[in-house]
Amino acid sequence: MSAETLILALVVVTALGFDFTNGFHDTGNAMATSIATGALKPRVAVALSAVLNLAGAFLSVAVALTVTNAVVHIQQKDGTPSPSLTADGGQQLLMLVLGGLIGAIVWNLLTWLLGLPSSSSHALFGGLIGAAIAALGWHGVNWVGDGTKLGGVVGKVILPAVLSPVVACIVAAAGTWMVYRIVLGVAARFTDNGFRWGQIGTASLVSLAHGTSDAQKTMGVITLALIASGHWHSTTSIPVWVKLACALAIATGTYLGGWRIIRTLGKGLVEIEPPQGMAAEASSAAVILASSHLGFALSTTHVATGSILGTGLGKPGAEVRWAVAGRMVMGWLLTLPAAAIVGAAMYGIGHVCGDVGGPVVDVAIMLGLAGYIYLRSRRSAVGAHNVNDEWEGMPASGAAVSAPELTSGGVA
Amino acid sequence: MNALGHDVRFTLEAIWKVLLVSVILGAGLPAIFALGIRSLAWGTPAEGSARHDGTAAMGASSAAGRVVAGMLFLVVLYCVAAAIVFIIATGKGDDISFAHVIPTIKTKG
Repeated sequence: MSAETLILALVVVTALGFDFTNGFHDTGNAMATSIATGALKPRVAVALSAVLNLAGAFLSVAVALTVTNAVVHIQQKDGTPSPSLTADGGQQLLMLVLGGLIGAIVWNLLTWLLGLPSSSSHALFGGLIGAAIAALGWHGVNWVGDGTKLGGVVGKVILPAVLSPVVACIVAAAGTWMVYRIVLGVAARFTDNGFRWGQIGTASLVSLAHGTSDAQKTMGVITLALIASGHWHSTTSIPVWVKLACALAIATGTYLGGWRIIRTLGKGLVEIEPPQGMAAEASSAAVILASSHLGFALSTTHVATGSILGTGLGKPGAEVRWAVAGRMVMGWLLTLPAAAIVGAAMYGIGHVCGDVGGPVVDVAIMLGLAGYIYLRSRRSAVGAHNVNDEWEGMPASGAAVSAPELTSGGVA
Repeated sequence: MNALGHDVRFTLEAIWKVLLVSVILGAGLPAIFALGIRSLAWGTPAEGSARHDGTAAMGASSAAGRVVAGMLFLVVLYCVAAAIVFIIATGKGDDISFAHVIPTIKTKG
């Protein structure tokens, strides 16, 4: 196996690994509320979400080849890689992408361990930004838009991240408030069953929309790697096996269920009742679809979290655990820089270790960190059996992993 | 205006539209759905009044209530169908069209 084939194979496998973490990290965005209210049994909920993510991934026929253009300068406008990065047979570009993917995966796993919902897209962008700074310097990053449309780190990542949870929160609070006013005094036998179906329907919409938008990103990254190494030439279509592999990766991840994150979203922020569950998911679906229609890129995670928070504010007398919300916001603030630091370190290490050794060492480090995080998670496993247990502060592992470890873990 | 200012301006231009559309659909539709549930319960004792003698006192929904509820649920179902068509259209890189009331996929460009 030549050096080029080796790094390409590692990039493809790592990208699928990222897609997999993307799946289980985001299961809770759609299903946490239905699981918390008992509208769906935990296993049924993750299975439904997985099937809809799979369907959504196959529905995305559009080629998201220019996904990295929002934040870094490694592709031209038509999606082909920058010639300066592929002069060496694509080695530099593949190394950069590999570093970015590893940064995203490590951050996704760490936040999963802590039970924090954080944006997988932002983790990917963060990793790529870090690797691009390490490879190309400061100007390798597309900090702001070109003045004709929204773009850059500010326009595509930071501003949407600040505003989208607020919008979702307002919408969900308004919806919750109205729903409770309207059904005041109606017998429970009407409301229970009605809102159960309302929740399942709206949560399904969120899952489907997630499959179409998120699987596309990994498909775009893999296709970019194939083009850079000369294994694919079209910029208007993607190989069938890439689509198939990405769809299966995100669906398998979703089915695994990020139970730690589901628990935080469903039980940690607010105690959710069926009308709130429906209002939250309806708000999420509306905000995601409306902004996608207007070309405003936002994260499903930020929207879902904002919506759940909003249902707590909209129901008179409901308690919102602001400490939990604060932890989440801290996680969001750290996502971009933390993933960037890992991405930059991975690019640097890979660069030093050479064409063959570099990617192998990078992937070995990633597997080591992933194994460590998995073992830590076993100390206080969260699964379908205990996801809905009473909320007593953070789950045991969350309390055990202190803030300094969070920082060092992000840097390692 | 510098590039940063442009980004802020484009964001603010987009975000209030997102908010407006989302409040109408994301909060309005749950409210319509809740009205449907309330209609189903028309003519039946309110919560709490049925507990003395169980099912006998609960009564069935009134016919008018069921018709109104059906119409309200249809509005919600129509919007859900439109949302699914929109998701499929976005996946194909196309747009949605509401010509002839039925939501259909419209090829861009």
